[in-house]
Parts: sequence; structure tokens; C-alpha cells
Amino acid sequence: MRAPWFRLGLWVAGLVVVVNGLFPALWILFTSLKTEAELTRIPITYWPQEPTLDNYVRAFREAPLLRYFANSLVVAGGSTALCVAVAAMAAYALARLRLAYAQGILVALVALAMFPPATLVVPLFQIFTALGLRNTYLGLILPHAALSLPVAVLVLYSFFKTIPRDLEAAALVDGCTRVGALRHVVMPLSGPGVFTAALLAFVNSWDEFLLALTLAPAREMRTLPVGITLYQGEYLFPWPLISAALVVAMVPVALVIALFQERIVAGLTQGALKG
Amino acid sequence: MGRPRRDLSERALGFWLLLPAFLLLGLVAVYPILHLIYTSFLDLHLAYGTRGEWAGFANYHRLLEDARFWNALRVTLLLALVTVPGAALLGLILALLANLPFTVKWPIRLGLLLPWAMPLVFAGLIFRWFFESDYGVVNDWLRRLGFSPLYWLTNPKLAFWAISASVIWKTASFMALVLLAGLQTIPREYYEAAQVDGAGPWQTFWRITLPLLLPSLLVALVFRTLTALQTFDIPYAMTGGGPGIATETLAMYIRTQSVENLDFGYGSALAVFLFLLCMGVTMVYLRFITRQEGE
Repeated sequence: MRAPWFRLGLWVAGLVVVVNGLFPALWILFTSLKTEAELTRIPITYWPQEPTLDNYVRAFREAPLLRYFANSLVVAGGSTALCVAVAAMAAYALARLRLAYAQGILVALVALAMFPPATLVVPLFQIFTALGLRNTYLGLILPHAALSLPVAVLVLYSFFKTIPRDLEAAALVDGCTRVGALRHVVMPLSGPGVFTAALLAFVNSWDEFLLALTLAPAREMRTLPVGITLYQGEYLFPWPLISAALVVAMVPVALVIALFQERIVAGLTQGALKG
Repeated sequence: MGRPRRDLSERALGFWLLLPAFLLLGLVAVYPILHLIYTSFLDLHLAYGTRGEWAGFANYHRLLEDARFWNALRVTLLLALVTVPGAALLGLILALLANLPFTVKWPIRLGLLLPWAMPLVFAGLIFRWFFESDYGVVNDWLRRLGFSPLYWLTNPKLAFWAISASVIWKTASFMALVLLAGLQTIPREYYEAAQVDGAGPWQTFWRITLPLLLPSLLVALVFRTLTALQTFDIPYAMTGGGPGIATETLAMYIRTQSVENLDFGYGSALAVFLFLLCMGVTMVYLRFITRQEGE
């Protein structure tokens, strides 16, 4: 096999990537298990000396963490469903129908939704205030769905391109209508593409901060990133509470990653759009 | 009409399938941007009770004389200048390491995906604690190495560097994922041929890997630059723009002027400026990419 120095080098390289990626996450996990006294000890400890779940109890009791969690689920779930439904229709039309300007529309769709969110904050704040959409779920679901639309369209577009046209043609010959062929042939085959697009849209929405902070700042409407960031008081930084809340908030995303790594990587590189 | 009827129904079907996407983007992207441009010409300051009279270019004139705007622009551009190449370099290193022939791949993928999937503000909150002067990890390392601890987040210069380091860490993983995909498209034969020709690893990297990686690198750079110009979350969580306004970015200043001070006219002018800045960057990159491809 390979020379021993090569295998040693491989181990070091792997360790660098893994430690770089996981150290901050492991650090909050360990921190969240420390007592308040241990948190303000110098020199600092890395491994919790007397592990405790107190911070988690406090995070749920002293702050509406459960409410934030539910808000994030509703907003991320709702915007994912809306985004994928809208994107699937558009991507199918662009990939499979003989439309003039399909390429142009694809580019325009992607370019349109590339508008910097930081500049959308001002007009959306005004418009949603006027429409009464501030501090509502719909007021976050709509912009979050739009922000993920280009990635979803690109992922689904390249996926639909891989489904053989002949399958559909056969269904049409057998007397299926266009919509019938879509429902009975294309949709059952598009599961993986739809799923990938949904994963990316979900993570996008779960993580989004600026629009959520501006459009839904009311205490009972905050998403997890907004709620946890606004824990900080004027003078003190409630780190025990924050570390526990961060761990809770990261659990769904960590699970999604652990379970569907390959699909996420594939989707990211197909519609590589977000930093 | 020689063309079959199906073509017509195909067009109609296409219209109905594309309509929802157009409606969604129209409602939350196109109309808001038009509204933004219009508002930037109004004197609309809710706190002062102005009712939105036409103000011409007054908001844009004000922008030219606003020291806080120039500060925010300087911070934003410096941040992009430091963190875009920084993230590209760290991302490239991570991608090259991750591309080695590991037998077990999932820990590597996890190491790249977790930072990517972490919300930016969470990275900001964690790094705020890393750079904390008494109980932070960074000062702990400094102490152990025999240096005196530094006041990272209350010193204007150090705060900028602490934020830059955090942004680089957070965004390098996305760079690495894109570059890794690029690396995997390079045919193995190229490397075998280089080996036959007796090229060393350094030569192989400069002559084969980097040139063939250039398209992926450019794509990653475009998106990283666009997001760098809109930096908000990490400085917001780490310093709140402080000390003073030392780390306030354009996106933060836009939000302060419009959402907090309720000066929509001026806030909109600032946002239009950022919009044009982002468009400009995209155009420059697009021109560069098309020229690359033309060669």
C-alpha cells in the first residue's frame, strides 16, 4: 500500500479540515454544559469540569426559546414549500417546454433574485408595514422563498434536464395529457432534485437574519437567529443562555447535514450561489 | 397555420408555469427595488413628520457630505478587500486538503458543511466569545504563549481584524465546497502526464491545478464579493458596529438610517448606492469572465 509518511500526512490533512470546521461548534457545545462559575474562571477550561444541563433549562425557561424554534420551523417550512413549488413549475417549463427565450428567462430569473437583500430591507420594511405584513409569518415566508428561488430553479432545471424526454413522449403517445405526463411520469422521478432544492431553501431560511430582524422583530415573532442575538442586554452578555440556545438552534441543521451530506454538496455545486 | 396546435398549448402551459415565479419575484424583488429608487428622491423622514415631497438629488448630495457614510463605505470596502482573498486562500487550502484520497469521507464533508450551514450571526456570537478579553479562547492562547491579552473588540483596529478573521472562517467553507467540485472535474490523466514529464508538486499546482480551477474560483469570487459588500450579521453580532462606528458597514448604516431613524429618503439613497456598487462589481466580473472564455 501507500508509504507510512503518506498515511500520516493524510491524517494530518484530515484533522486540519475537521478541526477547522468543528472547533467553534464543539466549543459552544462544551461551553453550554459548564456551570456559570466555571465560565468565568481564569485560566479558562475547555472540557466541562462539572457538566450540567442547567443552561438548557434556563434557556427554555427564561427566554421564549421554544417559541423562537416554532417560528423558525414555520417560516423555514413555509418558505421552503412555497419556493420549491414555484421553482419546480418554472424549472420544468424552462427545461422541457419548447419556449422561445427560455435561456434568457432563466438568466433573468436568477439575476432578478440576486438583488442584494441588504437593499431590499428598506423598501420591504415600508411596503410590508403598509400591507400589515410586518410581524407575520407570511411577511417572512414570501421574501425567504424569493431569496432561495434562484438556487432552487438552477438545481431543478439541471435535474429536469437529466430526465429522458422519451419517457414523457411515450406517455403522451399513450394518450396522457401534458399535465398528466407531468404528474405520472416526471414528478415521481423528480424526488431527489426536489429534495435537494428543499434542503438548500430550508437552510437558507433557517439561517437568514437581516430580513427577519427587520420584518419580524416583535418578541413573539422572532426566529431563532433574531431571538438569540437579541438576548444580549445593554451591559452583560448572557453567554450561558446563549451557548445553550445556539446548540438547540443548530440541532436541526446539523441533523440535516449529517443525514444528507452528499445531496447538499451536489446541490450546492449545481446552483452554487450562496456564501 | 402550418404549426401544430400543441405548440400553442405549450406556450400557454409555459406561461402558467412561469407566472408564480414572476409574481413572487415581482412582489418581493422588482417592485421593492423600483420603490426604493423612487423613495431615494423623496424627503421622507417619518421621525420629522415630512410627508414625502419630491427632493430631487438632495439625498444623494447629503450622502457626499456624510462622514459616517464615507466611514461605512471604507469599512465595507476594506472588509471585502481583506476577507475575499482571505476566504479564497483558506478555502483553496481546505479544498486541496479535502481532495486528498481519504477512505472515510464523511468527517471531511461535515467539517466543510457545518461552517457553511451555521447562521452568520451564530458565527458572530461564537467568535465574539472567542475574542472576549478575559474569558476568550484567543487571549487564553496568547497568555499560554507568554503574551499579554489584547482588548480585541473594544479597540477599533483590533475589532476590524477580529471581524475579518471571523468572516474569513465562516465563508471559507463555501469557497472550499465550490473549489472542491472544481478540483474533481480535472481529469486524472493530466496529473499522470505531468508525473511522466517529471513535474514536481509545486509545478503541477501552478501549471495544471490552478489554471483549470480558475473558472470555479472566479464564480466563487463573484458571489463572495457580492456577499462581502453586504456584510451585516457578523459585525452586528460581534461589535454592533462599535467601538463607536469603527466597524459599521454600509448595510448596517442603511438599516440604522431607515429602520431605526425612520429616514426612508436618505436610507433609500444609501441602499441605491449599495445596489449600484453590487451591480458594478458583477459587471466587472462578468466582463472578466467572458474575456477569459474568449481566449
